[in-house]
Amino acid sequence: MYSYKTGIRPIDEVTGGLEPGSNILILAPPMSGAEKVGFVLARPREGEYTIILSTDQSSLELTEDLMGSSVAKDHVGVIDSITKMSTPDAVDTLRVKYIASPSDLTGIGIKFSQLAESIFKGEFDRSGELFPPPVRFYTNSLSTLLMYRKLEVLYQFLHVLNAKLKKMDAIGIYTLNSESFDERTISLMKQLMNLVIEIKEENDGGYLRIRGKPEIAPEWKKFHIEHDELMVGP
Amino acid sequence: MIRTGITGIDEMLGSGIPRGSRVLFSLEPGVDARLFMYSTLNAALSQGLRCMIVNPLATEEVFRNDLLEAKGADINSFGDQAVILDSRERERINKTFSRREDRRKEWDSLLQAVCERQKTEVLFVYFDLIYEDLGLEAGVDLFKISCCEGKSTLVMENLNLEGQQLVSRFSEDFGFDLIITLKSGYTTMPFFNFFTLEYTSWSRMPTRSIPYLISEGAIRLYIPKIVVTGPASSGKSTFVANASDRGVSVDRGGQGEQTTVAMDLGWLHLKGFEITIYGTPGRPRFDPIIPQLVLHAMGIVLVVDVTRKDSLGRAKELMALAHAERLPMVVAANKVDLPHSLTEEEIRSALDLRNDTPVYFISALRRAEVRHVIESMVDQITRFPF
Repeated sequence: MYSYKTGIRPIDEVTGGLEPGSNILILAPPMSGAEKVGFVLARPREGEYTIILSTDQSSLELTEDLMGSSVAKDHVGVIDSITKMSTPDAVDTLRVKYIASPSDLTGIGIKFSQLAESIFKGEFDRSGELFPPPVRFYTNSLSTLLMYRKLEVLYQFLHVLNAKLKKMDAIGIYTLNSESFDERTISLMKQLMNLVIEIKEENDGGYLRIRGKPEIAPEWKKFHIEHDELMVGP
Repeated sequence: MIRTGITGIDEMLGSGIPRGSRVLFSLEPGVDARLFMYSTLNAALSQGLRCMIVNPLATEEVFRNDLLEAKGADINSFGDQAVILDSRERERINKTFSRREDRRKEWDSLLQAVCERQKTEVLFVYFDLIYEDLGLEAGVDLFKISCCEGKSTLVMENLNLEGQQLVSRFSEDFGFDLIITLKSGYTTMPFFNFFTLEYTSWSRMPTRSIPYLISEGAIRLYIPKIVVTGPASSGKSTFVANASDRGVSVDRGGQGEQTTVAMDLGWLHLKGFEITIYGTPGRPRFDPIIPQLVLHAMGIVLVVDVTRKDSLGRAKELMALAHAERLPMVVAANKVDLPHSLTEEEIRSALDLRNDTPVYFISALRRAEVRHVIESMVDQITRFPF
């Protein structure tokens, strides 16, 4: 079976990576670099593809961010829920699809299917060798979706989406602001996940804790990001 | 009648949606099906009907561009014939009123005002945010009582996150007249979309699911497999060749006595349908592959040779092999251009046909007659109560 490398040493070393159908939640307070950790996880590895649902950044800003990195840009598809609010006539391309707003769950579902279909048909990369093509679906962030839609509705929507990810042998990666929501919201979102990575910021840097893998002790550990890899330890 | 603008579906509904009906397009997450609403709206506007669009998911500008991109229709060019209540309207209402009941009242008076001014004939509603804001019953109720004393037609799109039980609430509790569900399957091929006619109040249509494809802004109903079978030399390959826009045949043998050894394959467009036709070999030594060829078939055309009464026994064997009793079927009695004496009654009794199975006397050499049989096959597939 295919195994998704996370770029997070303790996970990759102990478990060999994540199995298809896994869902990972990155739970972090604002300004603690959740997006950076998100990108480490979501970056497509050799032969993989990533679909990004971007609720806070336009696809242009996102591309700019990806410029400096080693990400294979032709292996990335984006669902952009920002641009249409200012540019209503933005037209979909092969790799960038626009939706009206983050409240448009119907649109998110459709654009996700369209991108996944293109990836499966080899339209992103004709030389794709792996089948089914491994796909990482990255939502940044659930916090924004939760501001636009009711918790129960979003929960049901993600539930259906996760079933589709599982059928495609893909994985899901989600970021969520740990401070803006009540316990019930966070606990419902956690129910949809197999793995939770909690992040906190201390004076001497960022710490993380991994929950959901019995092989990994749920202890706070210092981390830093180096060359798109997440290093844990001093 | 209001059309959906989707060839095939309008025919299935008996030329469209009766005025004053309430219609639901219920979408499962991920299914590419917004065209159903766009297409119906576009058709209503083109018919000159006055339409109100309630779309809390998008701003007016985004909606206009989406419709333009999908159907090439500019909603602005219709003037007051199209009124849009967009996401800003919802934001305003939700900001001004915090109680559900007050929001409902505000929506109600807003809809009434538009109705009175515009004399709305068709109301298009993107329902899921209204459902979220007001609740299911109150949300549905809003569009029942508000508009022109119930004389206008209601067409709703809803993202269904609750499955079949929500669909039955719309038919049983809310009395909707037409319910079409749109789903995607990952079974035979990934990302394959199909629609199901769940319920129509004005006809006794059986529940029917048909796959569809989207090409050039139009929905094309898709029949992935019609199987053409029949005894050897009955004219199946000629039938498939003349039914198809393009195709291939795997024939072997010398001149004049070619025989099909694997299958014939053809593709065609017909009345808004995309169809793939598979022709089986007729010789008994190929019988083991026939059950494989009919797997997932949606209909069977049985070709018999009217000059060879003795071949009807073999035709009956093939019907059994192809499990014809489970599928819609049409019989093409071929080679009427040659001297023959076989009658329809003889064919019916020899094959033990059901009364609703049509028999056509044709010559497979004549394209128009072959096409007529395929048309009848499509009718059988879309209306057959199986």
